[in-house]
Amino acid sequence: MGKGGKLLALLLVLAVSLGLAAGCGGDKKAATPAPAAGGKKLIIYTSMKESLIGGIVEGFKKKNPGIEVDYQSAGAGKLMAKIAAERQSGKILADIIWTSEVPDFYNMKKEGILEQYKTPVLKELLNPFADYDGYFTAARLGTLGIAVNTDKIKTPPAQWADLFKPEYKGAFGVADPALSGTAYMSVALLEKQFGWEFFDKLRANGARIGKGSGQVVDDTASGELAASLAVDYITNDKISKGAHIALYYPPELLLAPSPVAIFKGGQNLDAAKKFVDYLLGPEAQALIANEGTLSVRADVKSPAKFKLPDPADALKRSIKIDYVQMMATKETTIKKFTDTLQGKK
Amino acid sequence: MSPITRKSGFGVAQLLLFFSISILVIVVAVPVLLILFNAFWVDGEFNIGDVAKIIMEPDTYQALVNSLIIACGTTIGSTIVGTFFAWLVTRTDLPYKGFMKAMFLVPFMLPSFIGALAWKMLLSPNAGFINKFFINSLGFAGPIFNIYSYLGIVLVEVMYLFPFVFIQVCGALERMDPTLEESARISGAGLFTITRKITIPLVLPSILSGALLIMLYSMAHFGTVAVLGIENGIFNIPTLIYHKIHQSGGSFDSIRTGTVLATVLVVTAALIIWLQGKILRKGHYQIIGGKSFRPMELKLRALRVPLLALCLAYIGFTIVLPTAVIFLVGGLKTYGLAFTWENLSLNNYKFILFDYKVTRDAIWNSVTLGLSAAVITMFAGVMISYVIVKMKVRGKGILEFLGMLPFSVPGSVIALGVILAWSGKYGINLYNTVWIILVAYIARYMAFSLKANSAALEQVHDSLVEAARSCGATMWQSLRDIVLPLVRPGMLAAFFLIFLPSLRELTVSIMLYAPTTRTIGVAIYTLNEDGETVVSAALAGIALIIIIVGQSLINRFTRKAGT
Repeated sequence: MGKGGKLLALLLVLAVSLGLAAGCGGDKKAATPAPAAGGKKLIIYTSMKESLIGGIVEGFKKKNPGIEVDYQSAGAGKLMAKIAAERQSGKILADIIWTSEVPDFYNMKKEGILEQYKTPVLKELLNPFADYDGYFTAARLGTLGIAVNTDKIKTPPAQWADLFKPEYKGAFGVADPALSGTAYMSVALLEKQFGWEFFDKLRANGARIGKGSGQVVDDTASGELAASLAVDYITNDKISKGAHIALYYPPELLLAPSPVAIFKGGQNLDAAKKFVDYLLGPEAQALIANEGTLSVRADVKSPAKFKLPDPADALKRSIKIDYVQMMATKETTIKKFTDTLQGKK
Repeated sequence: MSPITRKSGFGVAQLLLFFSISILVIVVAVPVLLILFNAFWVDGEFNIGDVAKIIMEPDTYQALVNSLIIACGTTIGSTIVGTFFAWLVTRTDLPYKGFMKAMFLVPFMLPSFIGALAWKMLLSPNAGFINKFFINSLGFAGPIFNIYSYLGIVLVEVMYLFPFVFIQVCGALERMDPTLEESARISGAGLFTITRKITIPLVLPSILSGALLIMLYSMAHFGTVAVLGIENGIFNIPTLIYHKIHQSGGSFDSIRTGTVLATVLVVTAALIIWLQGKILRKGHYQIIGGKSFRPMELKLRALRVPLLALCLAYIGFTIVLPTAVIFLVGGLKTYGLAFTWENLSLNNYKFILFDYKVTRDAIWNSVTLGLSAAVITMFAGVMISYVIVKMKVRGKGILEFLGMLPFSVPGSVIALGVILAWSGKYGINLYNTVWIILVAYIARYMAFSLKANSAALEQVHDSLVEAARSCGATMWQSLRDIVLPLVRPGMLAAFFLIFLPSLRELTVSIMLYAPTTRTIGVAIYTLNEDGETVVSAALAGIALIIIIVGQSLINRFTRKAGT
């Protein structure tokens, strides 16, 4: 090993470190898209799809030109995992969370990571939470109905029991509750209303577990399924693009409120409050209604083409459930549901 | 040389060795050890009974059996298909052999989970385009084939994995000394006897080694089973690990189940690698460099045209058809519409490239991750290979052993290992950041870099350096002017061997991604899971374009560099 070997060795070591540094530089940008100085950028984590959140953020930016906003859209489970990891490393990067997994919000409230904010517009809103205390506020009333492929199902389903009919044999799909928060919500609600017997009968008629809550709708549109348990705005988005599906609501309505909350200790508290107020205001709620889901404002009606129920009426006829208890039984409910539909029981 | 320089030179050697060992220990050994540790130690005690209990749980046991069924089916299928086509393009007078050979290698480039998506669109029981065609136009009562089945999964994997055998057998058949066959023929043996007694024994090691590669790959393969199996409750080891981790939000029980499953994968992989080494060692005398001979070509006569048609049909069916379906579905307004002009547009492609944040981020993430991983792994690989191949320091044995590790650790094991190592338990928390994917990529692709770089370094004979030195060059000069230029092709090869596969990587990143850190593979998979079938198809189309353009650029580039 001579002098040259040393040099080469040093060079290699240097190159590796440089490579690491270069890699770091490149990746940092990817990880956090240009964080503004002092963390002034308002960051929203949401499970709402692009079509819904994109327009709302644009509208908010237009009204508040001084505030920079960024959002991350992903499944509620992924977002909660990210928040858990961020908490471990000391700081939650998001200012606002808006998903459809109500139990998560009760959980976060219990753990004390949410900021209490009683929005001034509250009295104008429909509030699905009897124990409302300002830690989170429903910003959308999601509904779930039966989406049917109109080429395959000619008589629209009028009640849940219609799913046991032969036309749905082997061709009704429910999203995997382990993957989708709304699917878990609807399984819990249906179980509350009809008991496990309902799922036994579904199984007897060959109902299938799909993947995400969107995929069952796409499978219905393609004809792989004749019908599925479907989220309103996902279905309506596909209907407006020309898919051969229609959405029907049995009398016992599945309602999944999507709460919005502010994280404690963020540096953008004022901006975050402004965003929550905007989200609950008539303008953003009209955007929500126009995407084919229910607004939390009684005065904002969804366009007639969606044939959605009236928000106030929907709230009244929806199946009620104890969210705190629902949180505790999540794992067993999902396991029992999966075993039932896969016939492992 | 004065004792002083010798001493400091020794110091640098030690430093290099130390660096090399630490890189491998940190990125590969620690994650694997943590998996084994977590699998076998419960509450600080060695507990093998518990491991057995977990394996015997119905879910886990079924996944193990499924992995085995799928891997065996895929291996047998791919071996038959690969050997047959290899024989066809090397030893017969099939027309357009060169073109055919190139086409049979195309599936290497295609990510199999994109293939699985395409086949799902073609052959899902009620809505697959082929099944619908048979039911609606030909009056069949039901679907002709259900892709959501063991057979479906195996067939799709065979389509995209058979090149492993194909390329090995092609090589063996081309290098084989034809005089062996000729002398048998002169001694009066018939074609059947020659094939049975000469050709097959000669090629068998290559066939087996290719088959074992496929077995290893299929056991640890996530994409196809995830796309086609999960809905019918068919899980293999990687998909079950993913499902457990995903479902739990990190609860210890599911991570432990994951580690036990991962341990099974590691042991199987080690066994396969060991077997492969044994077979290759046993077979080394048989591969004879008879490059100046042209092997006898079998005249196909009347079968020439039908076999050509078969090859073309196979290529059309496995490559052209799925690719076309991906691009067509990517152009649809929404899934389920017919392919008519008013339903087709480029809007989805525009949307994912310019408007949709998730896909734009994913493309950016994959490209930067791929570049960073390739650059880092390339340099680290040169350094480690240099120590292993050229340097004489004490403690090199450890490094040689560690250098073997990356070859035998499957992707999902690495992913689980980095979760255990880097999620804050040991001081650093990278979980849910892009860094954890980078660390995992480095571990996953180190094997490629080591292979390419040590091959290049081994070709540099010490006498070249000695000759330069005896002409008066300093050590540094000889390294700079002789060794580095000679090794450069190896480094470049390593770079591309890492960069391109990382662009389409799914198995590792699906376990590690966070909302901000999707890769292209993850974005395609999650969009499909979310029911954005047309958008995910469009992104898959873009990914195919990137991969194919990249590959052809590299082919052109390396050909130029080679001449």
